[in-house]
Amino acid sequence: MSEFDVAVIGAGPAGSSAAIRLAQNGMNVLLVERGDPPGTKNVSGAVLWGNELAKVVPDWERSAPVERYVTRKEVAFLTEKSKIAISFSSEELQNSKSGKIIVRGKFDQWLAKKAKDAGAMLVTGVTVDRLAIDNGKVIGIQQDNDVITADAVVVAEGANPRVLINSGLRPKLSDRDVALGIKETIKLPENVINERFNVDSKSGFASEFVLGFLDDGLLSGGFLYTNKDTVSLGIVASLDRLRANGVTHSYDIMGKFEEHPFIKNLIKDGIPDEYAAHLVPEGGISSMPKLYGNGYLVAGDAAAFTFSNGMVLQGINYAITSGILAADTIIENRNNINENTLAKYVDKLRESYVLSDLYNFNGIQNVTWSDFVQKSLPTLAESVMMSLFDEKGMPKKHLRQIVTDAMKSGHMKYSDLITNGYRVIKRM
Amino acid sequence: MKIEEKLSLLNYKTDKSYAHITINPDICSTCPDHFCVFACPANCYTLINGKLNFKYEDCVECGTCDIACSHGSVKWTLPKGDNGVIYKYG
Repeated sequence: MSEFDVAVIGAGPAGSSAAIRLAQNGMNVLLVERGDPPGTKNVSGAVLWGNELAKVVPDWERSAPVERYVTRKEVAFLTEKSKIAISFSSEELQNSKSGKIIVRGKFDQWLAKKAKDAGAMLVTGVTVDRLAIDNGKVIGIQQDNDVITADAVVVAEGANPRVLINSGLRPKLSDRDVALGIKETIKLPENVINERFNVDSKSGFASEFVLGFLDDGLLSGGFLYTNKDTVSLGIVASLDRLRANGVTHSYDIMGKFEEHPFIKNLIKDGIPDEYAAHLVPEGGISSMPKLYGNGYLVAGDAAAFTFSNGMVLQGINYAITSGILAADTIIENRNNINENTLAKYVDKLRESYVLSDLYNFNGIQNVTWSDFVQKSLPTLAESVMMSLFDEKGMPKKHLRQIVTDAMKSGHMKYSDLITNGYRVIKRM
Repeated sequence: MKIEEKLSLLNYKTDKSYAHITINPDICSTCPDHFCVFACPANCYTLINGKLNFKYEDCVECGTCDIACSHGSVKWTLPKGDNGVIYKYG
């Protein structure tokens, strides 16, 4: 007889959602979190896309700590001197409230409290070392020599999956599995944010950046989200490019981003209030561990359920959904937990958007982390735009000639543009 | 703003009895790349007169150095209990 029906490792969006669903269905749940309170060990941009939360907290809008709703979304390419952006505002986006800008420190604490309210036992300040395994079956969780037994374990430990690694259930991470995220939270008065980003107190701005201006072979993306009275500014840097570079410090990439003329203006007079760093799953399905075994399931970042096509970064929604589906799999098979019954978790993920998205966009990282998207395309666009918009009192050329000239100066061939462009369109 | 100033914004509950990351100085002394120095976002790894200096107290627990070190020097574990960095915003 186990002490708990289910032990959930990690009170982030995946773990807490799983715990809520399990507790709502009468299961005896232990939710273990090393941060005290929950959220103090987590780092994220953060925008929660979609409405998955409603599946476990139907009235979430009444109490969830949402900073602002995304009403304007941008994707911007930064070269050394220019910014080329696609900016999207829509009444429909505004009304659907699809993007919720949150601060994880507040949000995770709120969601964990919902799990507690639903009946889960929340234990904070406890670091789980590994899964307790007996005869090939997971029988609980272990810290030092203490074992707490459970019929099933949901591993929702986040992007740095120490429990899975320590338990021999996944190999160590490599440069290709994850990128390094660095984030700063910068204080700005609410009215300054409203004015500067052209939003009102409920609406918010979310932007992703392609940092093509970085030299020495570095590749990195950036993000900026407006919270209530702070701004989240960060980068996600490719580790294999940083390794190949060999002279630049990761934190200097963040520094260069902050100092970029178009970013500097946006955070002017802001007071830096927190510096943070975290791994970001980037490898997609090729980095995915085995998602289930005899007595355990893996959800959220620990399962590499994040997705970025350069336009949107998503992960919290996948975390919530995978947590719920892990819970449902356990609930449906509560009297017969084994490897075969838990395998149904993967079927559920396949039927949902989680694995569909990941399979659909398989290989996207080769596009988003390519020199073509990061450097060649923005440089070409910059050159074309300058020719189009910079009036110098000279006769104007046709667009085709401008593009040809720009490509010539960037040593790019039409065939390269077409081949690479096709790859981008195919994968995006 | 320098990295030292950025790190000074952070709160920690430091576990003086347990270094959750340790290095093997013998491996580090012959390391050809010291990628840990460039990868760590919290400046925990520095080179002083060509010798690697490591301090775990400023660690933000991202796990990057564990991936960065391909020579087997870094032994990485999570801090015990609720020790380590305490993020306000995260």
